[in-house]
Amino acid sequence: MIEPIPTVLVVDDSPTVRKIVQMTLQRERIRVITAGDGLSALTSVADEMPALILLDIQLPRMDGYHICQIIRKNLQFRTIPIIMLSGKDGLFDKMRGRLAGSTEYLTKPFDSAELIQTVKKHLVGWQQRMPPQYESMRTRLRRRG
Amino acid sequence: MEPQDSIMDGDLQTLGLQSILKMLALSGKTGTLFVHSGPESLSISLRKGQVVALREKGLIQPDLLGMLCLINKLDPPRAHLVREVAQGNMQVELATLVDRNWMSAAEMQQRLEFAVTQSISHALRWVDGYFSFHRQLVAMESRMQPLDIDSVLLEALRQADEWEEMGETQLTRTTVARWLPEVSNDVRSLGLSQEHIEILCLANGEVPLQAMAMVLMIPEARVAHIMKRLLELRLIEVVDTTLEAKLQQDLSNIIIMSQHMLAQQQQNLAPEQHLLRLIKTLSQCINGLLIHHGTYAKSLRGRGQLPVAEIVRYLERRFAQPLHLIAKQQYSILETAIFANGQLDCMEIINLDKLVKGEKLEEFYWEAVLGLATFLRAVFATLLNDEVGDSHIGRQLSYVWKAFLTEIDQEIQQYQLYRAHQNTQQRNRYGEVTFPNGPSWSSVPHNEGNPYWSPETQRRSI
Repeated sequence: MIEPIPTVLVVDDSPTVRKIVQMTLQRERIRVITAGDGLSALTSVADEMPALILLDIQLPRMDGYHICQIIRKNLQFRTIPIIMLSGKDGLFDKMRGRLAGSTEYLTKPFDSAELIQTVKKHLVGWQQRMPPQYESMRTRLRRRG
Repeated sequence: MEPQDSIMDGDLQTLGLQSILKMLALSGKTGTLFVHSGPESLSISLRKGQVVALREKGLIQPDLLGMLCLINKLDPPRAHLVREVAQGNMQVELATLVDRNWMSAAEMQQRLEFAVTQSISHALRWVDGYFSFHRQLVAMESRMQPLDIDSVLLEALRQADEWEEMGETQLTRTTVARWLPEVSNDVRSLGLSQEHIEILCLANGEVPLQAMAMVLMIPEARVAHIMKRLLELRLIEVVDTTLEAKLQQDLSNIIIMSQHMLAQQQQNLAPEQHLLRLIKTLSQCINGLLIHHGTYAKSLRGRGQLPVAEIVRYLERRFAQPLHLIAKQQYSILETAIFANGQLDCMEIINLDKLVKGEKLEEFYWEAVLGLATFLRAVFATLLNDEVGDSHIGRQLSYVWKAFLTEIDQEIQQYQLYRAHQNTQQRNRYGEVTFPNGPSWSSVPHNEGNPYWSPETQRRSI
């Protein structure tokens, strides 16, 4: 009776940005989890296997480029689309993001409608990208409570 | 699913859903029936002619636990525990409630049966559309005992007839209602039935009519009928979700823009420059909110294109007085800020550097920052209360707003810390005690906790 909903991980050191993105995407029937720094982000990726990651570049402890590279090197998570969020609008930063393996680049301050559109675009076919063994593990964990 | 898997298909005008289901039941088929009509679709899993699971697409997934709490059938702490386990899966939610003895297995079966009947009843009213039956049984999680199609159809048809009997109504199964904020008297004095009161409890601007029917296990038509009565009594209002979505998006954009300006503050600026940038950020945020309110204020809505002068008059009437009050009671520097064309003009404050310099300028800027931050809070509170009240969207926006205010407070605290260090250093100098390597403006750490000193002490120190 229910439709599976995708999970999006939002990584940003600003609680305002995290909450705004959360509110905006939840309205679009998207589950949102958040992380305020790089290490928590990697933990969330491993725990939750999000369907998409919105990643800020300037983060405490580990920057967005580095996180992106780590995710791309991992066989299990490398297919997750990563949208970089940054206040920097320079070509060099966009190139750096692409080299690190980002799927798309959104410049802050972003428009909510643009954010929704970009996220939805990259969520197409998210269920197919989800490794089956991971899904069954999650289901098992849920059942065990 | 591949098209070749389909063993039967056609359009609903030729063969109605009722006939299809009866046919599949009689022949004891196993497989999945897909029914599509416009943006809506339904998939029904059948095993040996009995319904084992159903999935309705294009329908907002109801928060069953939240609704059970609203009608006092579940404690919020228990709901929280179940929510953590179920992660939004309604089937798991129900099963967990049964596992923990917070719901009987019979009630779970009844609820699941009702949800299936409700969806089929809705689909029975589809005129245009198409269907296909596939041999393959699509995996759908279901804790439900198989259901006999005849009994499901009988109840579904009865519910569908009730909708037809309702006649012309603006209410649909996706209608969302909300209590009118003006209601303050005791609703029990109106002699409402238990069902009326339960629907009133669920009308929080979030739960659609269909979900209300599901949680109360009463037909949608009956819920619509009660809603109509509550609307007549002016106890609830129908929520315009499109307008609220636009409103939320507009406010989010203002907050994102202001947060971005705040985050752009350069750490190596001189203190008065830092304060000046804060003043600019705060005043721009206030003006963004004023423009927003000029579009979404309740008394300006739904009146078509209004003359700018009327909007300006409205904004000044609403916000000039709180500004004057703040200026008179606490931050006299705001007396230099004026309303012009429905916008707050802070140019006098921004251009103060042409009149004063050094510590005095810093002192004025500091007062302006505190005053504008207070006014910003007042503007947002007034605006939110007027536009959405204490609704779901209102609470969500307040939540985001609090996060933004925390970031502003951090900037203010950073300056307070800087001043505290400066004063300590000055005192030590007078007492001929050396204080090597005192902190510079840029090296003052961000403090996420409470400021070292109260704002009053800070003001005195300046």
